[in-house]
Amino acid sequence: MEENCVVRMRGITKIYPNGIAANQSVDFSIREGEIHALMGENGAGKSTLMKILFGLEQPTSGVIEVRGKEVSISSPSAAIAQGIGMVHQHFMLVPSLTVAENMVLGMEPKKSGLFMNYPKAVELTKSYAEKFNLHVEPDKKVADIPVGMKQKVEILKALVRGAKILILDEPTAVLTTQETGELFKELKHLKEQGYTIIFISHKLKEIKELTDRLTIMRGGKSMGVYNTAEISEQEISRLMVGRDVILEVEKDKAQPTDVVLSVKGLEYTNEWNKKMLNKVSFALRKGEILGVAGVEGNGQRELVDMLFNLSRPDAGEATVNGRSVIGRPQSEIRDMGVAHIPEDRMTFGVAAPASIEENVISDRFDKKDFNKGPLFNMKRIHEEADKLIEEYMVLCKSRKQPVSMLSGGNIQKVVVAREFSSEPVLIIADQPTRGIDVGATEFIRKKLVELSREGAAVLLVSADLNEVMELSDSLVIFYDGRIVAYFEDTEKLTDIEMGEYMLGLKKQSEEEIGRVRHEN
Amino acid sequence: MKTKSTRLFGLLRGFTALLVALLVAFILVFITSDEPFKALENLLITPLTNWNRISTVLTRMIPIVFTGLAVCVMFSADQFNLAGEGCVFAGGFAAGLCAVYLDLPAGIHTVVCLLAAMLVGAIIMLVPALLKAKLGASEMVVSLMMNYVILDVCLHFLHTYFKDRSQGATMTLPFQSTSILGTMFQGTRTSWGLLIAIVASVLVWLFMFRTKWGYAIRMVGINREFSKYSGIKVGFIIVLCQVVGGLISGLGGGVEQLGYYQTFRWIQLMGYGWDGVTLAILAGNNPLLVPVAAFFIAYLDYGCTLMNTNTSVPAEMMDIISVVIFLFFAAEQFLKRTRQRMVVKETERELAEVKAEEVSAE
Repeated sequence: MEENCVVRMRGITKIYPNGIAANQSVDFSIREGEIHALMGENGAGKSTLMKILFGLEQPTSGVIEVRGKEVSISSPSAAIAQGIGMVHQHFMLVPSLTVAENMVLGMEPKKSGLFMNYPKAVELTKSYAEKFNLHVEPDKKVADIPVGMKQKVEILKALVRGAKILILDEPTAVLTTQETGELFKELKHLKEQGYTIIFISHKLKEIKELTDRLTIMRGGKSMGVYNTAEISEQEISRLMVGRDVILEVEKDKAQPTDVVLSVKGLEYTNEWNKKMLNKVSFALRKGEILGVAGVEGNGQRELVDMLFNLSRPDAGEATVNGRSVIGRPQSEIRDMGVAHIPEDRMTFGVAAPASIEENVISDRFDKKDFNKGPLFNMKRIHEEADKLIEEYMVLCKSRKQPVSMLSGGNIQKVVVAREFSSEPVLIIADQPTRGIDVGATEFIRKKLVELSREGAAVLLVSADLNEVMELSDSLVIFYDGRIVAYFEDTEKLTDIEMGEYMLGLKKQSEEEIGRVRHEN
Repeated sequence: MKTKSTRLFGLLRGFTALLVALLVAFILVFITSDEPFKALENLLITPLTNWNRISTVLTRMIPIVFTGLAVCVMFSADQFNLAGEGCVFAGGFAAGLCAVYLDLPAGIHTVVCLLAAMLVGAIIMLVPALLKAKLGASEMVVSLMMNYVILDVCLHFLHTYFKDRSQGATMTLPFQSTSILGTMFQGTRTSWGLLIAIVASVLVWLFMFRTKWGYAIRMVGINREFSKYSGIKVGFIIVLCQVVGGLISGLGGGVEQLGYYQTFRWIQLMGYGWDGVTLAILAGNNPLLVPVAAFFIAYLDYGCTLMNTNTSVPAEMMDIISVVIFLFFAAEQFLKRTRQRMVVKETERELAEVKAEEVSAE
C-alpha cells in the first residue's frame, strides 16, 4: 500500500455505448497534498477517467478507493460528499446569474427559510476568495467577466462545497500566458494549504513547472507514474505519443494576389446586449492563410457565424469575390466556393448516426453528377465516398459505417474531406484540429497549407496559439470584438507578445491595423 | 460489425415488445374470459386457418400500409404529423365523389379518382406544413385538431349535397362500375389495392433511400443544424415531407373506397391514421417493413374481432395490445442495459482480436 494515498482507482475499464473502449484496466493513484498531472493526447482517456472519478460516468468494471475505503461514486454529488471537486474545461456556470449566485447554486443561504439571502452569499464568496487568494467580483454577472475569472469561480465553487481534491480539466486551454502564470501561483498556494490537485494537460512546459508527479495515458491505458523532476520532456513526449511527432508544417512563402474575402464594418450585439463585433474590417487574399487569434469569446465565433449566415450582423458587409454573403442561404454561399470547417463538429459538421457516405455528400447530393433522372446515381456516390475515404485516410470499416462509431480525429477527417474536396476559393477553418489526435492534426494542417498554396484563401480561427503561429502567413488578434493587431509576417512573433495583445494590454495604432484591409 | 449488432438489437427489441404486449393480452384474457383457451385460439390461430380468413387479414392491411408509409416519410424528417387520419377520410371522400359523378372509361376513371384523393391529401397537409415552416407552429397540434375539422367539413357536404335521399343511412349514390378496383383473388374481398400498397412501399423506399429528396428528408430528421449548414433548404424539406405524407394518406383513402365499398358511407374517422403511427414505429421508418408490420397488425386486429364474436372478450383488447407495443417502442431506455452488454461483449472480443494479431505479428 502506497503511503498517503487519498484516491486509488484500480483496473478501471470503460466501454461507451458506441463501443469505444476509452479506458482499459487503468490504475491511477494520488497522494495527499500533491499536484498530480494526468497527461496524454486527446482521446487517450484522461477525461473519461476523471469523469468516472467525479461520478459523471460509471465504469464498466474496476474499483475506486478514497482514503483506503472502497466507494461507489454514482453521481457528482456523491463525489462532492467524498471531497472530490471538478473544474470542467467548458465552464458549468449560469451566465445570467452573478458570481455570488453561481457560488451558492443549490446550497443557497436562506432568509426566513424561504428567500435567498443574497448579501450572505456575497459575503461567503468574499471570504473564500480572500482565504484562497482567488480574486473574483461577487456582484458581476458571469456573462460579463473574463475567462480567467470564470475559472476562479469554478475553483471556488468546488472549494465552497468542501472539496479537498480538485480535478482541473485542461485549465490552461482557454487562458493567456499571463493568466496561466497567475493560475499556477494560486494552485501552488492551494497545495500549501493541504489540498490535492489533479491537473489534466498535454502541455509539457506547464507540467514541468507545476506538478510533483505525473501519470501518462495513451490509447486508453496507463503508461506509468513518474516523479516530475526525474523524467525529461523528451521521455514524456515519447511515452505520450509513442513516436516523435514534429508538428512543424513545412510551407513556402505565401504569394497572395487578389482579395477574395472582404469584410467591412461588421457589427453585432448579442442577446445579452454585449457588443461582440465592433466595426470589424479586414481583407483576405487568394493564396494566403490569415490567422485569427484571441482568447475565446472575443468575437471570433460571431465573425465566422456571420460569414456563413448562421446569424445576421447589425451592420456591415462581407463579400466573397465581390458578392455579398450576408443573409444569403448556405447553398448559395457554398456555390460561391466557400467551405467551412465548423467549430462544433458534432452539431454542424456531421449527421452522426448517418453513414460516412451520407455525410460526405451532404453539400453536393443534388448536383447533376450524382443524380440520374429522379434517382441517385448510386455508383457515382459510392465512388465519391470511397475516393474521399482513401484520399483523406478515414480509418473505418466501410463507407456504410455510421460516423458516430468513428474516433474524434476520423470524424473531423470526414468533415474535412467534404469541405476540402468542393474546390473552395475560401476556406473558413474554425478550430480545425481541436480535440483530435496528433496524426489527424498533422494531416489536416498539411492539407490546409497545400490548398492555400494551390490558390485558396484560408481564414484560420484557432484557440491553439501554436497552430495559428505555425500555419498562418499573417495574423490578426481579436480583443473585445475588435481587431487590435495585425501582423503581416508571423515568423518573428512570440507567444508573450501575442498574449499582451490578446489580453488587451497592448493595441496597435489604427494605421497599423488598417493595413489588413489591403486597400491600396 | 457493430452495425450488425445494432440491427440485431432492433429486432430483439421489436420481438420483446410484441411478446410483452401479447403477455399482457393473455393475462387480461385469463382475467376477463370464461373460456380463455378458446379466446386465445381465436386471437392467434383462427385468423390463419383458411384462405377466406387470410384474405380478410390481407384486406384489412391495405389502408394501413398507406398511412404507415405516410408516417414513415414524415417521421423521417422528425415531423410528428397526425393528419393522416383526416387525409384518409378526405381522400376517400374525394375519390368517392369522382367515382359517382365522373363519366370516364374503365381504368382511367379509377386513376382519376385516385389522383383526386392524393391531391386532396396533399392540399390538407400543406396547412400544418406551411404553418410549421413559416411560423414555427407545432405540426402535431395543428394536424391533430385538423382531423376533426376535416371530418365535419366533409360530413357537411355529404349531408347537404351528396347524400342519396332514397337510402335510410347516410351514403352517396353508388360508385360507377368503371371506377371500381377489382378483386385480386377470386371469391374474396381483397382488391387490387393490395398490389398498389406493395408497389407503393417499394416506391416510397426508393424515394427515401435513392433520391435526393429522400436523402434531404432523412438528413433534416437526423440533424437539422447540419442540414442547414450543408446547404439543404430545411423549410422546403419540412413542407415537402408532409405533402408527400398527404399524397400517400389520401391515396390510401381512395384505394380503400374503390376497393372495399360500393358507395361512400364513412361517417366517422376510421382510425387508419393512428394505426399508421404504430406501423411506422414498428417498421422503424423503413418503408419495406411497413407491409410486414401491417400484416401483423391486421392479423391481431382480426384475431381480436374473432375473439369478440366467438367468445366473451371485448374487441377493445386490440387497443390495449397496440398501446403496449407503442409504449415499449417509444421508451428509449427499454432494454438499454442489454444493448450495453452486447456492445461491451463485442468490443472486448475486438480488443482480444487486436491483441492476438499483435502477438502473432511479434
